[in-house]
Amino acid sequence: MRIPGLGNAADNPKHATPGDDPEHHPRARDGRAPNVMRIGEWVPMRQHRDEEEVDFAIVGTGAGGGTLACRLAEGGVSVVAFDAGPYFRPLEDFASDESHQSKLYWTDERIVDGENPLQMGSNNSGKAVGGSTVHYAMVALRFRPEWFKTRTLMGYGADWPLDWREMWRYYDQVEDDLKISGPVSYPWGPHRRRYHRRAHEINAAAKVLARGAEAMGINWTPTPLATVSAPHGDAPPCVYRGFCTLGCSTNAKQSVLVSYLPRALKAGAEIRDLAMVGRIETRNGRATGVHYFREGKWRFQRAKNVVVAGYAIETPRLLLNSANQEFPDGLANSSGLVGKNLMVQGNQAVWGVFDEEIRSYKGPPSLAISEHWNYDDKGHGPFVKDFFGGYSYMSQGPLPQLWANTQASAHGLWGEALVSEMQRYNHVAGLKVVSEYMPQERNRVTLADVKDQYGLPVARITYSWCDNDKALNRHALKFMREALSAAGGREVWDQGDDTCHLNGTARMGSGPRTSVVDADCRSWDIPNLYVCDGSVFPTVGGVNPSLTIQAVALRTADRILARRR
Amino acid sequence: MKRRVAPVRVEAAVHPVVVLAAVAAGAGLLTWFAAGRSKPLGHAAGGRSYSPRGREVTASAAQRLNHASTMLAASVLFDSGLEHYRGQFFNRAMYTPIVVSSVILAASLHGAGDTDPGSSRVRHGVQALAGLTGLIGFGFHAYNVGKREGGYSFQNLFYSAPIGAPMALTLAGVLGVIAERVRDADPDEPRLGGLPAGRSLAVATAGMLAGTTLEAGLLHFRGAFQNPAMFVPVTLPPLAAALLVRAATKPEGASQSGAKWGMWAVSAMGVGGVAFHGYGVARMMGGWSNWRQNLIDGPPLPAPPSFSGVALGGLAALELIERSRFRF
Amino acid sequence: MRPRLDLYPGYDVLAKRDGPSWNAKTREVLEERLAIGPETRRFFDEAEWSTMKSLAERIVPQPADRGDPVPVAALVDHKLATDTRDGYRNAEMPGEREAWRLGLRALDAEARARFGARFHELGAWAQDELLKLAEKGDLTGAVWEGMPSKLFFHQRVLADVVKAYYAHPTAWNEIGWGGPASPRGYVRMDFDRRDPWEAAEAKPGREDEAYQENLRVGR
Repeated sequence: MRIPGLGNAADNPKHATPGDDPEHHPRARDGRAPNVMRIGEWVPMRQHRDEEEVDFAIVGTGAGGGTLACRLAEGGVSVVAFDAGPYFRPLEDFASDESHQSKLYWTDERIVDGENPLQMGSNNSGKAVGGSTVHYAMVALRFRPEWFKTRTLMGYGADWPLDWREMWRYYDQVEDDLKISGPVSYPWGPHRRRYHRRAHEINAAAKVLARGAEAMGINWTPTPLATVSAPHGDAPPCVYRGFCTLGCSTNAKQSVLVSYLPRALKAGAEIRDLAMVGRIETRNGRATGVHYFREGKWRFQRAKNVVVAGYAIETPRLLLNSANQEFPDGLANSSGLVGKNLMVQGNQAVWGVFDEEIRSYKGPPSLAISEHWNYDDKGHGPFVKDFFGGYSYMSQGPLPQLWANTQASAHGLWGEALVSEMQRYNHVAGLKVVSEYMPQERNRVTLADVKDQYGLPVARITYSWCDNDKALNRHALKFMREALSAAGGREVWDQGDDTCHLNGTARMGSGPRTSVVDADCRSWDIPNLYVCDGSVFPTVGGVNPSLTIQAVALRTADRILARRR
Repeated sequence: MKRRVAPVRVEAAVHPVVVLAAVAAGAGLLTWFAAGRSKPLGHAAGGRSYSPRGREVTASAAQRLNHASTMLAASVLFDSGLEHYRGQFFNRAMYTPIVVSSVILAASLHGAGDTDPGSSRVRHGVQALAGLTGLIGFGFHAYNVGKREGGYSFQNLFYSAPIGAPMALTLAGVLGVIAERVRDADPDEPRLGGLPAGRSLAVATAGMLAGTTLEAGLLHFRGAFQNPAMFVPVTLPPLAAALLVRAATKPEGASQSGAKWGMWAVSAMGVGGVAFHGYGVARMMGGWSNWRQNLIDGPPLPAPPSFSGVALGGLAALELIERSRFRF
Repeated sequence: MRPRLDLYPGYDVLAKRDGPSWNAKTREVLEERLAIGPETRRFFDEAEWSTMKSLAERIVPQPADRGDPVPVAALVDHKLATDTRDGYRNAEMPGEREAWRLGLRALDAEARARFGARFHELGAWAQDELLKLAEKGDLTGAVWEGMPSKLFFHQRVLADVVKAYYAHPTAWNEIGWGGPASPRGYVRMDFDRRDPWEAAEAKPGREDEAYQENLRVGR
């Protein structure tokens, strides 16, 4: 029984819809789009013809593009949002399986090099409507206020052209929209409004973090997460199935797919799935629309404004691939900074074995966090800070494939050593860092000679740590090692090579020579071309970036709408 | 390494939960029989003779109090059963409330059918024991919350042993004991501990309502009051409690219909709460077909009737104050 | 090295298949995977196939008495046949399919050069010796055509073989993972707690208790 208006989310996905393949046939067409909250159902969608000049063409529907599309549509402008990936209905399309769910990742070819080549795909790139938020770990943290002015206040990185108090208001709004489940009071930073849902019960892996933090004399807290702890509309509360980073099949996770995009559709936005944008067209210094590949052929959508929101690899790739006679170095690239200052975040971990059964596969992976080292700038004793930047660390819950791969690649185990060590899976807990790496121009996205299935040059991603990054890694690993041991961990070992998140490559700033876009995410060179995703970050801070990307997107929408009035 | 495969033998083992249920039921039956046969009104022995009207009032109030403790005991039985099953009876003491609440449930049911004005020593003893068990349980839960990572934080108040829950057992015990005392009291001028029975009971049940409201408030805060109906158990009972306190200040014999309606409203809310919580279970992922998770993780079905229990106690108090037997 | 144990006696994650822990999509996906037999081969040629099978056995050895071993080589073959990719490759590496063909051929050639027999004909000791050389990047013959054996070993062999093995329910049983979980997730998340539908670990001397519990996970 479904009671209208009350949002009965108890749909039991026992019966999938036959003959409907979102990975090969677009779902958002014929005036309708999938209803992501129901099995086999649809919602009406306003559509535009290619020849019709829409107000905004948005490339990407993730944290940046999806959020922006929603607010722009709600502001009354016509919006078409493109995504290269499929339009999933989580209840019927998501399996509880690590291999299968790799369908959520951007697995088109990319080439990595540099001194510390990045791992792409699974942990940082999404290819689905909703973008990476469909498989993100839902950690919803705010920047420390000083991070918006690190150059001025802390002596490193670059200043954001934004004021933290204004950002604080937008954070409030995102947290409300996503019904973030967080602690009753947050131990760090200036006052913030109470979260709209209470924090989740923490699992044993998170309690390990708590024990360690208490032993080390620092604060910890249940992590603010974008998965509801009490019903919200059609979303049931989290059932702690632990597959969060492989897509949430219950819709408890407030990904953009189930939060902002349904609102966007309702407000009249059009979403085009399986639509790969390959080039932005310009004429007389203005963007005129986008070339996109859908249903077997290249098409051209006319638009008054274009927003690029493809995340920090695809965004510069598209801008560079759109080079033409007018802009031979790529669009918005008069500063030469497009693709440069690529920033990831450290994602090193320490792992240990415990006497107790931990079974960290239950519940969201990062249920507890300490942001101590984001707010302590000096440190003391063996933990004096000898580097710029900060880090937070969180509890972890790897599933078998990921865990086995970690044991093989980072711990160097194979053969009998691997399979017998894997039997301690249920007794393992770990701490994993999200740390602030420095922006460096040599870390960059360029175009390779190789072409992908659309015939477009693929991205070459060059990445190397600087000395400051390495010093931070050492500090974090050492601290977490002690914390994990203090919590009762034995045979503690380091996973020293992992990274996560993508930022930079089209940074915002206060001048056209030192940045690609202005505070409103508008490119300095082309007045009707915007970039709205993690690419605009001048610095990354020591927290997961999604909440900040979304807050910036809401602000951008407000600024665009204000200008139109 | 040799793996065992394919279950060949027929399982003869009985699930521990079944054993526990049997023990609890057995203890309840024993209590029932130990409490003796109920005697119908009018056949009171002992040579005491009071005015029939007064006796009718105290007997009715006593029965009502037994209804109250029945409701509370049943709520505790199922709630602690569910919650301690969730906690996998990790500590053996976790079996206690199930056995004790079965015993007090039997004693209260027995009392509920007993129209005799005289008290029963077995019932009296059992109720007192239950009251004490609840207090000990409260101590246990408070200790358990404090020793968790984070100590007395909201997080632990939400998710570790619910600190207020064992008090429901104490309330059941206290109301049960009072039932016996009322049976023994002078029907013309019933007193409890030297105070007028009706008034002191009214104030006591008002306090109990406030306590139960706190517990519901904490847990509904955990649920972020996501449904407006979740505000009802934190607004209605305090109002009703205020009416009860006002009732205690009114002269004896005055009409108490306002407070009475308040009590009935809270009672109804307690029962209606079960339906709301049932809807809450349906809203969880997988709904009722995933009952093994959702009955435990969802809103607790047996919890709301503890409000009804306390409210029935309030009705008994009103009867004693008004000095007339309510027909409903 | 710790011995491999029967740590979760009687546990079979497939017993939960028709219960609330598996949704329709999961059943469909696992059905497809379980249909892959030990000799299902679409991508590798015959020479590569025998090398692949021996290689898989060295990376994730399985008990000799396991009646129905995980078809690791076939699962890797399936990944390559369906061209399921990681989403990146090191600039020094060719694409995934090419890297595998090249790497298997090179391993075989190195085996012949050093031990005078094909890789799959070697004993476990000799195979491991070769793999250890690859692990360190010490196999540098012309047969590698410039592909670093170290990268091949770490990024292709370890990653693909290990993930293939732990994609299989038999491997999940071995490590006591709860397996698919939707719509039903988990309730008990504290230290040393398990839901009745999770694997029970055999504590020394109490193996029978765990065995009994594990027979009940599918209920």
